[in-house]
Amino acid sequence: MAAGELEGGKPLNGLLNALAQDTFHGHPGITEQLLQSQLYPEVPPEEFRPFLAKMRGILKSIASADMDFNQLEAFLTAQTKKQGGITSDQAASHKTKIRESLMNQTLSWRVDGNSQLTETKHSPQIHTPVAIRELELGKYGQESEFLRLEFDEVKVNQILKTLSEVEESISTLISQPN
Amino acid sequence: MEESSELPLDAKSEFVDFQWKLGLAASCDGCRSLKYRYVAVLAVMLKVADHSGQVKTKSFEMTVPQFQNFDRQFKEIAAVIETM
Repeated sequence: MAAGELEGGKPLNGLLNALAQDTFHGHPGITEQLLQSQLYPEVPPEEFRPFLAKMRGILKSIASADMDFNQLEAFLTAQTKKQGGITSDQAASHKTKIRESLMNQTLSWRVDGNSQLTETKHSPQIHTPVAIRELELGKYGQESEFLRLEFDEVKVNQILKTLSEVEESISTLISQPN
Repeated sequence: MEESSELPLDAKSEFVDFQWKLGLAASCDGCRSLKYRYVAVLAVMLKVADHSGQVKTKSFEMTVPQFQNFDRQFKEIAAVIETM
């Protein structure tokens, strides 16, 4: 089977789905052998391997480049023109899936009066209230990462300021007519 | 940027900075409707310094309701911290 015949159609969609699972969702059990036997049983391994690597590369580029839609369009047009590329529909749906798989939840917080900084013999202990906040960052299919963050009052105010800028942007975005 | 999900209890990172980008993502839930549906997504790049001083960037996304929850909690933190 020529390399050109590998592109397009249901097997390719299945392959991209499976790769998105493996690469971005940490799904165990997705091996090269499984992909090949399920989706491209007639393709010899030495042909399938480079094709698989290329598809993985395309998926990674899409996800990591954080392109806006114009950039994505341009990137995909270039890809589809190359032999063995993917269609722009397929890439667009995969990009959405990959982004959706990054999930954020805030868990809990507490405010402590804390002593900060190393004491030396000459300087007094400095007590500064700090907020400790736990963030849970998760990806579907993977364990969440817990991030425990410390903020003092200055930083809290700095963040609040940025958050109100975000709020303003959101209002502008939502109030714009479609 | 591999992180173990089992942090020692006192392992805290210091918040350094965060940058954000608000965008729209197109989503199609089973394509029930012929119209595209757009979802506002906030992308955050959070910079934190670990106990060794090394600065790392964590990237993640939030939906608008998640952001609003985050915002509300932060205002509560600010209110409490001001009283101390």
